[in-house]
Amino acid sequence: MSEYVVEMKDIVKDFGEVHAVKDGQFTLKKGEIHSLIGENGAGKSTMMKLLYGMYPITAGEIYINGEHMTKLDPKIAINHGIGMVHQEFMLVNELTVLENVILGFEPVKGMTIDFDKARKDIQHYIDRYNMEIQLDKKVSQISVGEAQRVEIIKTLMRGAEIIILDEPTAVLTPQETGKLFEILFNLKAEGKSLVFISHKLNEVMTISDRISVMRQGTYMGTVNKEETSPLDLTKKMIGREVFLNIEKDYSKAGEKILEVKDVWIPSQKESSKIRGMSLYVRAGEIVGIAGIDGNGQSELIEAITGLRRVEKGSVILNGKDITNKTPRRIRETGLAHIPEDRNTRGLNRTMSIEDNLVAVELDKKPFTSGIFMNVSEQDKYADHMVKEFDIRPADYKLPTSSLSGGNAQKVVVAREVSMNKPLLVASQPTRGVDIGAIESIRNTLEKAKKSGAGVLLVSAELEEIISLSDRIIVIHEGKITGEMPAGEANENNLGLLMMGADDQVETDKEGEKCHE
Amino acid sequence: MDVFESLGKIFNVSLIYATFRASTPIIYAALCAAVTQQANILNVGTEGIMLVGAFTAVAVSFLTGSWILGVLAAMCGGAVIATIMAIGHIKYNSEICAIGMGINLFAIAITKFLLQVIFNTSGSFSDPGIDPIPTVHFAFLENIPVLNGLLNDWAFTEWFVIVFIIILQFLFYKTVWGLRLRAVGQFPMAAQTAGINVNAIKYQAILISGLVGGLAGAHLSLGYSTQFVENMTNNRGFMGVAAMYFGGANPALTAVGCLLFGFSDSVGARLQAYGFPAQFVLMMPYLVTIVVLAVSMAIKVAASKKKESSLITG
Amino acid sequence: MSNSLNGAVKILITLALALGIGAIFILAIGQSPVEAYGALVKGALGTKLGIGNTIAQFTPLLLTSIAFAVAASAGAFNVGVEGEVILGGITAAYIGINWGFLPVPLLYLACFLGAMAVAAAWAYIPAALKAYFNVSEVCVTILMNTVALYIGSYLVSGPMSAGTATPQSDPVLVTIPKIMKPSSANAGVFIAIAAVLVVIFIVYKTKWGYKLRTVGTNPTHADYVGINSKKVFINAMLLSGMLGGMAGCIEVLGVHGYYLDNFAKDLGTNGMLAALIVKSNMLFTPFIAFFLAVLKAGSMAMQQATDVPKSIVDTVSAIFIIIATMEFVVSLGKRRKMEHEAKAVANIGSKKPDDKKTGKEESK
Repeated sequence: MSEYVVEMKDIVKDFGEVHAVKDGQFTLKKGEIHSLIGENGAGKSTMMKLLYGMYPITAGEIYINGEHMTKLDPKIAINHGIGMVHQEFMLVNELTVLENVILGFEPVKGMTIDFDKARKDIQHYIDRYNMEIQLDKKVSQISVGEAQRVEIIKTLMRGAEIIILDEPTAVLTPQETGKLFEILFNLKAEGKSLVFISHKLNEVMTISDRISVMRQGTYMGTVNKEETSPLDLTKKMIGREVFLNIEKDYSKAGEKILEVKDVWIPSQKESSKIRGMSLYVRAGEIVGIAGIDGNGQSELIEAITGLRRVEKGSVILNGKDITNKTPRRIRETGLAHIPEDRNTRGLNRTMSIEDNLVAVELDKKPFTSGIFMNVSEQDKYADHMVKEFDIRPADYKLPTSSLSGGNAQKVVVAREVSMNKPLLVASQPTRGVDIGAIESIRNTLEKAKKSGAGVLLVSAELEEIISLSDRIIVIHEGKITGEMPAGEANENNLGLLMMGADDQVETDKEGEKCHE
Repeated sequence: MDVFESLGKIFNVSLIYATFRASTPIIYAALCAAVTQQANILNVGTEGIMLVGAFTAVAVSFLTGSWILGVLAAMCGGAVIATIMAIGHIKYNSEICAIGMGINLFAIAITKFLLQVIFNTSGSFSDPGIDPIPTVHFAFLENIPVLNGLLNDWAFTEWFVIVFIIILQFLFYKTVWGLRLRAVGQFPMAAQTAGINVNAIKYQAILISGLVGGLAGAHLSLGYSTQFVENMTNNRGFMGVAAMYFGGANPALTAVGCLLFGFSDSVGARLQAYGFPAQFVLMMPYLVTIVVLAVSMAIKVAASKKKESSLITG
Repeated sequence: MSNSLNGAVKILITLALALGIGAIFILAIGQSPVEAYGALVKGALGTKLGIGNTIAQFTPLLLTSIAFAVAASAGAFNVGVEGEVILGGITAAYIGINWGFLPVPLLYLACFLGAMAVAAAWAYIPAALKAYFNVSEVCVTILMNTVALYIGSYLVSGPMSAGTATPQSDPVLVTIPKIMKPSSANAGVFIAIAAVLVVIFIVYKTKWGYKLRTVGTNPTHADYVGINSKKVFINAMLLSGMLGGMAGCIEVLGVHGYYLDNFAKDLGTNGMLAALIVKSNMLFTPFIAFFLAVLKAGSMAMQQATDVPKSIVDTVSAIFIIIATMEFVVSLGKRRKMEHEAKAVANIGSKKPDDKKTGKEESK
């Protein structure tokens, strides 16, 4: 019997043309917390989804408790004691917490579900791990932190000995993160083996026994926590020093291009509602907005670009009030927008590269004359853009669905940047694209700034924010918690502000305090 | 004639049974649609499934002389048609509305074709040899004036529909299968990660829906009437789908919606006798459904807007 | 272009399958499929009357199928074309009977414009309900078809009744000339073809059409690039309504010369059928509409010449559409190709990538 409860050897996973995992290796010891880290798109989630049987592997071997798994689906994985808490919670909103927990493993009495027994079983785990959850509420009515506890209870109820947590802290407040860590330590003490996926190094250093690093679908090695440092891990994750030498010329910042004055913006999620936020962007500067995903960044950007209602306050672009104007009017007033979701918003995947390139300016000459589209002008333009932005393949009649992530994003960037609008809003411009494309996209943003545009940049990557921005604004739960010149920013002080802790020093201790 | 006297003749006790009688086929149809709707599949093919059921019921009842065999065969017929839809939708990615409409057209055509081939007739087929679904007669009610007229001599399937609503209510909300069905309908990924075979549940839902749809047709041709007429479902399937829509696929609420259709249908038939343009009464259930759909969705939109608002602190 | 070719091949294969299944039915009743199909084609295209009947069937189908396809290209499943035909017809009849004060050319124009306007207004209701309150347009349009039917039926048995035994209106003052007597083919076919050409041109060649297609394929993207997806959706439904109304007008002025109750039976449904078979591809839709018209027109002749009931034709069309909605013919080729590539790239066994999941993953 091997010392590992899980062994994944030489894993390969392709999605069509995309190689999500090229060379995956992973081992898990009983009773340890093993962190799997890497940048977005490094293949860490995919590795664990393969272990949970959500997709078949293309090649490689998976052993659970020494048993070679030739066939794997979630049901088999669950039966082998694997539980997974997904990044997006797998909870049915319209069902109660109780119903969600027992789904798929319902105790029965006669022909009906034995809700009493289920309740008793769940209570056992609630008491043991001190997890507060309300069983009779519908999932749509509970908080994110509570939903996560429900997910953990779900795995326990199914007899999980191995629990995978996919970026569990991405959506949590510091208090909730503290509570979660407490639960994880308890689980470890009970002998459960845990996989913790993250790209936040301070958390990883707090919680792990061992740490494995992945980069671009490839396994980069495993270390014990005691033998490593955040700097060491960063190097493994990114593979080189990135963009430390971009020269910033901050003196050129000019007039205010964008002014957001005390805006109130609705959202489905409580923590993403914006309640009174003000900021500005000047010509010739890049303003970076840092924050944990889901703290109102998307809502702010959508409100500025006219895709979401502003309930109170005003947005001034180029001296004109654009509050609640149509996206079209706002674009005409002087805005370009690289959206965070390129596949559903940024691109129309069924249409060609050319169609996507001209989508915004279609109504204008020379792309249309009268009511007709001028296809030859569009061709000329598309040909030029494909070459200038090095979009591959260069056949601009191909549908954008056939492009890789990086090239698809280049189409969006090309369209938006080439219009030379006074304000460029870029939301997660490099998410899920390869290193080469990251560099060219970042350079493009730099160029836009140098040519005098104001740039508002939102990114979940602190490194990106720090290396590109002139000024950084940190937001937490829809409020600005801090603002500083990029020169003063580092992962530490930004990280603190991102957790809403603008007056505390110790990150880790902070989280452990229970709120209320 | 006195207005009140006329009104009295329209709105009397017998209207209650007339309403229920007219509603029953629609209730069965609505339940057929509700089963798949719980799995988030809009069963546009209800009409066709029901029509095939109606034909099969009459054909088998006539050929075997047994209404039970007729009903069972109708349910099987409905299931076969539904299976075609299920395979198309689940395995081959057919758009559900498109294949549902295809199923409806197929049902109309194939029943017409078989009517000509098997019974050598067109338009309709009725024969004393068709064994209808029996009525339930309570001897003890005979001497009770109002109740006798109200409750006696219902077709067996008219009583059964009440039981059936309760069965489905139980199935959806109290059993394991019902819970899984609802999970599949609302968030298939969540169901999949819970180890549930999503496609299997969908197949089962459509298959059961087919059985129910077949029963709906059998009731129409052997209980509600004793004959088969080309396209005799006459939009009842669609009415069922609409009623299911505003009943939110909950069997009991859905049935209430169906009673509305039955009510306007019965009142319309009576009003016509007094020279009132029947068309206006006949279109009432449709108009009411549209208005109810619109209002309920508008309320939903307003509620979610309120929930999302940043100005209200929750 | 190879895409269109692929599509055409798929349609032909589907058609062959449908005809094959139909042939099995015919064999099952002891008749010869070759004879039956032969009689059908001869009946529809072999005689002057046959050709006339085919054209008469084709005219409304062409319009209703494009009406459905236009709405579909903006993402609407408009089952309501039939109701639009009915209301267009009754409006044309009303104007054609009562507006005799207009000079004849203007009266024609008034009939068409009136029919199109009323039908478009009718289509506006489900469109707006969908755009602003997200009410299923499938449900609403199905219900509204019946309402339209009753409105028409009320008008011709009440206020507009000619007093005849069958519910119908007085004759209209202007009619569209017949072109192939004794069939009911009329010059309306030219109007229909012209209208459809204009619509196809609009959808594929103008910026308005581009917006329509953008909204139909990705409304989120449309809003982001500055296209008002709700407005475009509603406009598409209005255009769809206008086409339906035009079909009603041509039927009343060209075929009957008065409004006949229930004249639009299945016109909308069959148009939808034609469009669905080719997934609302507007370039192919007219051909399918023509093909269905041939089937319809030839079916009577087939029934008379052989002992095969004409309902076999409807059965074949229904099978045609059921198979056409499935994605197997094309995806078979794709899967094989993907398997091939997977083998070449990974150089491993025959584990085939599940193409459904791949699509989902990529779209994230």
